Amino acid sequence: MSPLRVHGAPRPALAPVICRWDLDKTYLRSDFDSLRQLLRTAFERAEDKVDVPGVAALIKAIKKAAERHGRAALVYFISASPPQIGKAIREKLALDGIPYDGIVFKDQLAQLKRGKLRNLREHVGFKLVELLRGRLDAPAEARELLFGDDWESDPLIYSLYADVLARRLGADRLLPILRRIGVDARLIDQVVALAAQVAGPDAVERIFINLERRTPTATFRLFGPRVVPTFNYFQTAVVLGADGHLDVEDIAAVGRTLVERSGYTARRLENSLGDLVRRAGVSLRAAERMGAALHAAGVLPAGAPARSRWQGMRDAIRRLRRRRKAPRPPAPPPTVAALDYEAILDRLRPPGREPSIEGRPA
Amino acid sequence: MPTIAIDAMGGDHAPGDIVRGVARASLETDIECLLVGDERRIQEILETVPYNPEHISIVDCRDAIGMDEDPHEAVKNRRDASLLVAARAVAEGRADAMISAGNTGACVLACARHFRLLKGVRRAALAGVYPRHTEYTGQDPLALLLDVGATIRCESEELVQFALMGSAYARRISKVPSPRVALLNMGVEGTKGGETLVAAYRRLRRMPALNFVGNVEGNDLARGRADVIVCEGLLGSVVLKLVEGIADVFTDVVSAAARRRLSWRIGLALLARGIERLRRLTDYTQYGGAPILGFENLFIKCHGRSNARAVANAVKVAAKAVRDRVPAEIAEAVAALR
Repeated sequence: MSPLRVHGAPRPALAPVICRWDLDKTYLRSDFDSLRQLLRTAFERAEDKVDVPGVAALIKAIKKAAERHGRAALVYFISASPPQIGKAIREKLALDGIPYDGIVFKDQLAQLKRGKLRNLREHVGFKLVELLRGRLDAPAEARELLFGDDWESDPLIYSLYADVLARRLGADRLLPILRRIGVDARLIDQVVALAAQVAGPDAVERIFINLERRTPTATFRLFGPRVVPTFNYFQTAVVLGADGHLDVEDIAAVGRTLVERSGYTARRLENSLGDLVRRAGVSLRAAERMGAALHAAGVLPAGAPARSRWQGMRDAIRRLRRRRKAPRPPAPPPTVAALDYEAILDRLRPPGREPSIEGRPA
Repeated sequence: MPTIAIDAMGGDHAPGDIVRGVARASLETDIECLLVGDERRIQEILETVPYNPEHISIVDCRDAIGMDEDPHEAVKNRRDASLLVAARAVAEGRADAMISAGNTGACVLACARHFRLLKGVRRAALAGVYPRHTEYTGQDPLALLLDVGATIRCESEELVQFALMGSAYARRISKVPSPRVALLNMGVEGTKGGETLVAAYRRLRRMPALNFVGNVEGNDLARGRADVIVCEGLLGSVVLKLVEGIADVFTDVVSAAARRRLSWRIGLALLARGIERLRRLTDYTQYGGAPILGFENLFIKCHGRSNARAVANAVKVAAKAVRDRVPAEIAEAVAALR
């Protein structure tokens, strides 16, 4: 048997899985630091656009694994960029060979026409509406995986969406949150109306945040264990593997792509795995199972001159776990209570600074 | 990329500033950092700062040698202290070099216990770097002083070897093609300083491969006359502490003056840019640390008060020394002497 044929725990039902991806900084390495870069991004051709290392391999792996498991995997992109760049984006997706099922852009021109300049930068309302609309069209039993980044409000938007879906956040609690964020009144009405229609299953399994800005991981603790900040898509693949969405061969494929195309080394991947375990992103048992197979497949380094580094890392993590007084909950996907959004907003949008911060992690 | 083992638990501000420094290095470079220390505390600190986990691995160990502990006793009895675990990692080939801001005596003894001396090297030397006046544009504002405490009393042969080691290090790290080497003495004449220094002076004079500029006195130290200054450990340690003490007193005097009179405060405000330049010149954080030379493996000793910036720079210095093959350069220089 191939060393990679170590499969994750099989899921009891074959419900379709919907993957919703943010575009900029999650799929594409867009630079918005200055107006000049923003303009350049807007006029960039597909072949000039750069994707985040490993993202294409990961999306393909999710599709492939779902097919193997006999379930459907649907991939959607939601972007706050204007539809005018849609052509280049679609061409880029085609160039990367990424299979996707839908893409939504924000009609910035309509906001301008309405004179709602603030809405140009405020994306919470837009994204929530689009996520909820997307859910209306999805099969009721579909599970969801959400992918964003640490540049804007993705952890907040996705968490709100997950809690609305799971009926943990009713209109009475949702309204003051959206008002505090500064969401446009029309969008608030739409969110509330859509929420009433879609609320039902606790469908969101994981929210992955690509740490493009290297935001300290402690920042995301307020969002609970459902939100998993990851430093690269190998880490994301490992968590998906632990959750049963990917098999080890899929994780290996993502790892190999990073090594072959993005200058990663086996050691960097091994360190990423160690970091994930220390942050309780995956359980030690899952990491051991996948780690052993990835070692055997040559994706992780074979061993150090004097002593196996993997062995050392495993021992160290075991000791660490034993010493933890209150261990953080490990994978598989956790069921969480509604988050304390007041505390989250207090942290992300301190009172008196609401209009200027736009929900960026502190 | 070289792997640098870092004693996360050594230093006045450990593990906080050590871990933050490594986090910083992980973002700025591709250097592989092997943090040795209490994994739980290290991870807690890492999670509060930006870092790149792809360049960081951790070796868990709970014991650490304190700054005030007796080095001999500590190295003898605390086998699982972070300093010794890191040194073993280097000796076993899991890392290429190490850094520590911990107990200096214990650092030297850890090297002696776990690293092999280079062939032909009789004694190791602990180097120190200190700011000095520059004589020309592009001159390194820091001079290397060795030994500053590893070998208390030396023979002339050892001083000659220190000169070769310091010269090789400066050649590689400071990129000075032919570093000027001097002997610290009580007079510039080659006949002064006693038997050992006179003998060392004579031998150094006869070495064409070395750019020996003769003896320097204490008042020449702060000038740019030499890039590498050689002395016995006892003297070197006194000199280094004196330099640090003067810098501290200077800061205290300036602060006191500013508090005492308004006119002095205004005067100091006018001099602010100049004082800032002086502060930058004497800022130990910019050079990170100084090496313990003479072993097959590299050890960069950081200042005990090292902050995150100093640690990040020490990691870079260690990696540079590995890449530039400093131990091999020293071995070649010592072999040529034989």
